Amino acid sequence: MVLLGKIALGITGTMLAGVGAICSQGMIEVNVVERQPEVHHVYVIAPAMLVPIVTHFIPRHDLGDASQQLRPYMPTIRAALDQLQETEDFVMVDVKDRKQHVEVQKIGGSLVIDVKDENETVHVETPVRMISSTLEQLADKESATAD
Amino acid sequence: MRKATQLAGALCLLVASVSGMAASVLAAPPPERYLHVKVEDAKEGESVNVNLPLSIAEKILPTVNKGELRDGHVTINKSDLDGIDVKGLLDAIRTAPDNEFVTVKQKDEDVRIAKSNGNLIVHVRSTGQEKQNVDITIPLKVVDALFSTAKDNELNIVAALHELSDAGDALLVTVQDASQHVRVWVDSKSSSD
Repeated sequence: MVLLGKIALGITGTMLAGVGAICSQGMIEVNVVERQPEVHHVYVIAPAMLVPIVTHFIPRHDLGDASQQLRPYMPTIRAALDQLQETEDFVMVDVKDRKQHVEVQKIGGSLVIDVKDENETVHVETPVRMISSTLEQLADKESATAD
Repeated sequence: MRKATQLAGALCLLVASVSGMAASVLAAPPPERYLHVKVEDAKEGESVNVNLPLSIAEKILPTVNKGELRDGHVTINKSDLDGIDVKGLLDAIRTAPDNEFVTVKQKDEDVRIAKSNGNLIVHVRSTGQEKQNVDITIPLKVVDALFSTAKDNELNIVAALHELSDAGDALLVTVQDASQHVRVWVDSKSSSD
């Protein structure tokens, strides 16, 4: 009985540690509300750490030229994302017209994109670290192909 | 004697706390500076605001190598500067007192170039079919930084941005026409409100 308790405690501890590790890079949040023609609501929240892991398993041929096209821009992307993580929160872009409002902000360690118009509302929140590690993965895939 | 020791101790504590506070203030990083671009179109009811931390621009620019932009430097076509001693010209402007250097009056356009309070100022007033006012104010330190490279036909954009981040809040460019209003300025606010 004591042994079973120890095993259960071990499993629970491992699970908690695993969940903690998976959530350590923050969460990706996608919230889409469509009002017309029908009301649809899509809400997804997932650990950001999964994205670079999933990217690792994408077959190279399915990426096409994506990696090749991305590679020359990596030094710029790297510099931008590194500096973005260090800066305080700010509104990067804010575009308004009579029907639509688009806002791109840096909040905490995340890049937040909000689009609002008459028919739908879209909210996407992604940790900057996740964007960085995912793009690094994609660029590395190209170098693996080139080797 | 005991009172004097107590007083000296209190004074030492006060000096230590004040110097500690001063050290923490001095050690605090300078506030982030932002380059703001705001375009408003009253006729279309549109507005676009872009806010870019100068530190990000300073880090990104040296990594971009495309066209005329290399390592944070922009190369100007040599023929555009043929026979012009830009550095000599800037030196003359820098040492000259505040003054209006160039005034061009045409039928439907007035152009004025002046130096005022350490800034280079350009005003363009178009009164033709497309009425447009353009005002550009650039701190001379930024202009100097722009031409600080060894080569005469290169603009050092990174140095200019660095100088801009050290300069105070400044309205750099305004363009106003019949419907659109464009503003470019630098300050420490993270949004354009």
